[in-house]
Amino acid sequence: MEGYIVSLIIFTATFALFGLGLNLQWGYTGLINFGHVAFMAVGAYTTTLLSLSGVPLILATVLGAGLAAALGLLIGLSTLRLREDYLAIVTIGVSEMLRLVAVNEEWLTRGTFGIQRFPLPLATLNPRLPVRVGMVMVLTLVVGLGFWQVWVWLQQRLKGVPRQAITTSSLAMLGYLGSLGLLLYGVGVGASQLKISDLPDWALGLGLLITVIGIGWVYLWLGDRVLSQLPGATAGLAVASGAFCLVFGVWIYRFAASALYHYSRNPSKTGLMFLSVLLVAIVFWALQRLVRSPWGRVLKAIREDEEVAKALGKPVFWYKLQSLMLGGFIAGLAGALYAWQLTTVYPDNFRPQITFNAWTIVVLGGAGNNVGTLLGAALFLTYENLTRFVLQDIIPLSDSQLGAFRIMVIGLLLMVLMVWRPQGILGKKEELTLGR
Amino acid sequence: MVDSHGRQPLLAANALSKSFGGIRAVDNASLEVLPGSITGLIGPNGAGKTTLFNLLCRFVQPDSGQIIFDGVSIQHLQPHDIAQQGMVRTFQVARVLSKLSVMENMLLAAQHQAGERFWNVWLRSSTVRQQEREQREQASAILESVGLAHMAQDYAGALSGGQRKLLEIARALMVRPKLVLLDEPAAGVNPTLINQICDHILRWNQEGLTFLIIEHNMDVVMSLCDRVWVLAEGRNLASGTPTEIQQNAQVLEAYLGQ
Ligand SMILES: Nc1ncnc2c1ncn2[C@@H]1O[C@H](COP(=O)(O)OP(=O)(O)OP(=O)(O)O)[C@@H](O)[C@H]1O
Ligand SMILES: [Mg+2]
Repeated sequence: MEGYIVSLIIFTATFALFGLGLNLQWGYTGLINFGHVAFMAVGAYTTTLLSLSGVPLILATVLGAGLAAALGLLIGLSTLRLREDYLAIVTIGVSEMLRLVAVNEEWLTRGTFGIQRFPLPLATLNPRLPVRVGMVMVLTLVVGLGFWQVWVWLQQRLKGVPRQAITTSSLAMLGYLGSLGLLLYGVGVGASQLKISDLPDWALGLGLLITVIGIGWVYLWLGDRVLSQLPGATAGLAVASGAFCLVFGVWIYRFAASALYHYSRNPSKTGLMFLSVLLVAIVFWALQRLVRSPWGRVLKAIREDEEVAKALGKPVFWYKLQSLMLGGFIAGLAGALYAWQLTTVYPDNFRPQITFNAWTIVVLGGAGNNVGTLLGAALFLTYENLTRFVLQDIIPLSDSQLGAFRIMVIGLLLMVLMVWRPQGILGKKEELTLGR
Repeated sequence: MVDSHGRQPLLAANALSKSFGGIRAVDNASLEVLPGSITGLIGPNGAGKTTLFNLLCRFVQPDSGQIIFDGVSIQHLQPHDIAQQGMVRTFQVARVLSKLSVMENMLLAAQHQAGERFWNVWLRSSTVRQQEREQREQASAILESVGLAHMAQDYAGALSGGQRKLLEIARALMVRPKLVLLDEPAAGVNPTLINQICDHILRWNQEGLTFLIIEHNMDVVMSLCDRVWVLAEGRNLASGTPTEIQQNAQVLEAYLGQ
């Protein structure tokens, strides 16, 4: 379990970083990048190939991210002066082209055979107790800062709501969400039992569909008719989600801390986990500072109306270029993490699907919101892992069908989200509805 | 190009032309704006006034003609250079950034901000903070003077049409320009607010700011402008003091229809 959680953390951190890059480009600057995975591929290949040929890991990583940024420069110089849809088209093209180059240029990328046995960061480290305790403390600090963010957000949400209303509505919300969770869990257990028995597939499938739709319908009705009538319903929802974050976070944290403490049990993964969490924390902090600075203000202005930005003396092209390159740099870093986690680099790791994972993460959390991107990454990866391992016990579909089914469900969830909350989970509604 | 008082014009456009397909939107048009003046630009709908603004600010590339601003030719400059040189425009339909707050709209317009280079956010963070504080004060003062101070923290998208016009003008002032081009500042604004806007323009003009104003509201033109240029079908029709223009037979004909 610990090993599983550790790799879940690494994947989440990787995709959080990857999503943060896209969020800078699209969420803050409005650049439509449909080939984000290209930056990741450049980062992954450059880092691993350079480190294999003896370049120190840190330098190789920086060069990898730098080359990803250079790719951003190249794409930007050729398309950013044109109409904005050209960027979308060119980025798709470039990402597929790079993947094909990786397949075919075997002298460089070893083709579909892939790159293996490249050096991993902190893998040979055998830290003594004080160092390990120090690492746990750093982790604790990062998690603590995360909780503090949640706390600040909660306080904003609860401002001006009477205490009485908060208590009742949060209890109601906890009951609502808790019972929903238990019910779905029960359905899952029941279905997995039935799947083992000789029930025909179609009957099980139909039964599941009807049950899930039924439960969904009842709970939607309840939420619509009963819960939303409660005074302070949104505050209650905020408290319930905050409580969930706390419990889930502490649960995850325990595994991570224990893994760090027993570093030598699996040095390469543990080191990578530590590194990736640290990297996400640093990049997140840096980006938060940037988007709140005058620099970030110019990006937001460009996102909304670049003519106005020009009329006010801002060199729009130059800012778009910076945003594309910085986002590419961050995605390049994510590429290095990705390669280290997979321990092999194949062209197939960089299918267009990965780009759309990043879009899902950013849209889910709320475009133009870095905290939302982190949340989106956590939700997305949790979903991915839950469904990958749980659904096959429940749903009577073959493996390849299940893969398609999971993507379908993501699409469905995104559609529901777009209807119910088009600004994403943490996005600001005003940023969508206030027209010109 | 020196006028009767021996003053060099702040902005001089000479023989500008621009065609869109078959339409000659601006046809050999010239214009001068003297420093410290409030100059008017009038003409029937579709006369090419907005297009002329677009040419002056380099939003649209002219087919031919020269533009000289503050003694230097600005032909080769990009739109953003124009604002940095001290010439700023507003749009006919107010374009505020509705997803930014009113205050952020104002702060965006300030020039030479250290914090607009992303490395300075770390390397010179105290300078950035200091500048930001000063600009905030300046923006508050301008917002105060146009009566938008109480909405500084609201989204600009929450403003009414007239308030957006005010914000756009206020934002242009944050650039600390020498010349402000206003495209129909009074369009869609109620009479009281029009008077307010006129008062502000006069006051800022007395503080040394030069204006070039497109306006259909003749009362506004007559009460504000020192000199008026008339455009019709992209060509210069007349220029002179407001009173001269009012009595010009050609102008009356152009406005009242052939
Ligand atoms: N981008 C463009 N493409 C094609 N035609 C254009 C373009 N911009 C302006 N025109 C044409 O140029 C002519 C002048 O337009 P312009 O907007 O400059 O008029 P205006 O004097 O500002 O009128 P109004 O008083 O109605 O604002 C019009 O016939 C218009 O259709
Ligand atoms: Mg016009």
